[in-house]
Amino acid sequence: MLRAALVIARKDLRLTAGRSAGLAQAAALGLLLIFLFSLSLVPGQRMSAQGASAVFWMASAFCQVIIFGMLYGYEGGKGQKQGLLLAPIPVQSIWLGKALAGVAMLACAQALFLPASIIFLGQELGPAWKAGLVVIFICDAGIAVAGSLTGALAHGQTGKESLLSILVFPLLVPLFLGGIRVGSSAFGGSGEAIGDWLGICLAFDAVFTAAALPLFPFAYSTDE
Amino acid sequence: MKDEAILKRTAGERVFRLISPMALIAGLALTLCWVLIFVYAPRESTLGLPQKIFYLHLPLAWWAMSGFFLTFAAGIVYLRTGKEQWDAAAAASTEVSLVFACSAVISGSIWARASWSVWWTWDARLTTALIMCFVYAGGLILRSMDMPPARRARICAVFGIVAFLDVPLVFFSARLWSYIHPPSISLEPEMKLTLAVCLAAFAPLWFCLAALRMKLDLDERRFDALRAERLSREERRSR
Repeated sequence: MLRAALVIARKDLRLTAGRSAGLAQAAALGLLLIFLFSLSLVPGQRMSAQGASAVFWMASAFCQVIIFGMLYGYEGGKGQKQGLLLAPIPVQSIWLGKALAGVAMLACAQALFLPASIIFLGQELGPAWKAGLVVIFICDAGIAVAGSLTGALAHGQTGKESLLSILVFPLLVPLFLGGIRVGSSAFGGSGEAIGDWLGICLAFDAVFTAAALPLFPFAYSTDE
Repeated sequence: MKDEAILKRTAGERVFRLISPMALIAGLALTLCWVLIFVYAPRESTLGLPQKIFYLHLPLAWWAMSGFFLTFAAGIVYLRTGKEQWDAAAAASTEVSLVFACSAVISGSIWARASWSVWWTWDARLTTALIMCFVYAGGLILRSMDMPPARRARICAVFGIVAFLDVPLVFFSARLWSYIHPPSISLEPEMKLTLAVCLAAFAPLWFCLAALRMKLDLDERRFDALRAERLSREERRSR
């Protein structure tokens, strides 16, 4: 399953790298959001560490919607989804492959969002920045696991179904709360209970991985 | 094939016969609740009259939560069996439970105003209840989306399962974020009895509303199936 997932992830990443839009579109949306929020500050004013962290995760959340829409859209052509489903691989490897590709793309986008948050929102890295990076990775894994499942749900014949990815934002609240709190510490805010937040984010990753494995075949099928 | 299956009434639908007696029981039980709340239960010394909201707030929240669990369970059964009755049960349970959850949030907000002098605060239980409302409201929007019925039912089942699994995580994360909601309240024996009756009284109410909604949904699906059947028959005849 892992080998098939890696093949799918590599295929999706190569397709993304070969197209001019795609990841650039997702990153541009996130950067635009960060820039727009910076307009709420008067010249010389700094946003609070927690506020900046919240803006960073909001940019990441919208970015993941575009990323997973795009990743599942690669099989949007006639018969391509059926072809993928007929391949002699466990169907869950499609979910895992898309999640791996998604997490890589999200990390690339966040590599732009992080300096943009520091520059536009007037932040500095605090002593807890290493813990912040670990939590970003754990949250990204959770976003990818859930995003890959909801991306499969949203992948359909009509454009209207893309709204579905946004409807599931509240499901990601535990990750966002953890990411915002630890991100706030990383931006020099008050450091608190990082271990507890880490535990919640890891629990989210575990619960959604356990749920996605049996549910994915129902979410991504061709029998309608 | 799917249309033919929905036209057959299942043995489980005998439960709809209970709607009328249950409605009568719910009406009587709720009347008893009002008597107990305003006549029997003593007035709380600190909060006074607003404390009486508690007798409605807690049952609403409990039955909303139980209803969301039923949505989760019905979703699993639907994915295993593919029977439309389970999709209709999940839809009815989500709708009624969402009304209960929203009512619990509103009643809690009124109580918070009397108790903490604010309409809203980012407390764990309040936040969890509100996010739960957002999640399941999203589920209802999904149900109204224009897509093939089988796909919609499957997506909604998956969504109902994932949404319920998320609730404990939302609660623990919100609890870590901020927590002022009382974990437990000590009650006088009269208050405990009143609360127990209110909790029991909301069960037939929830059942009646959910069963009526499910029956309506199934009738609607049968009507659509019959109409489709008639149209195809007329088309065949015209050829």
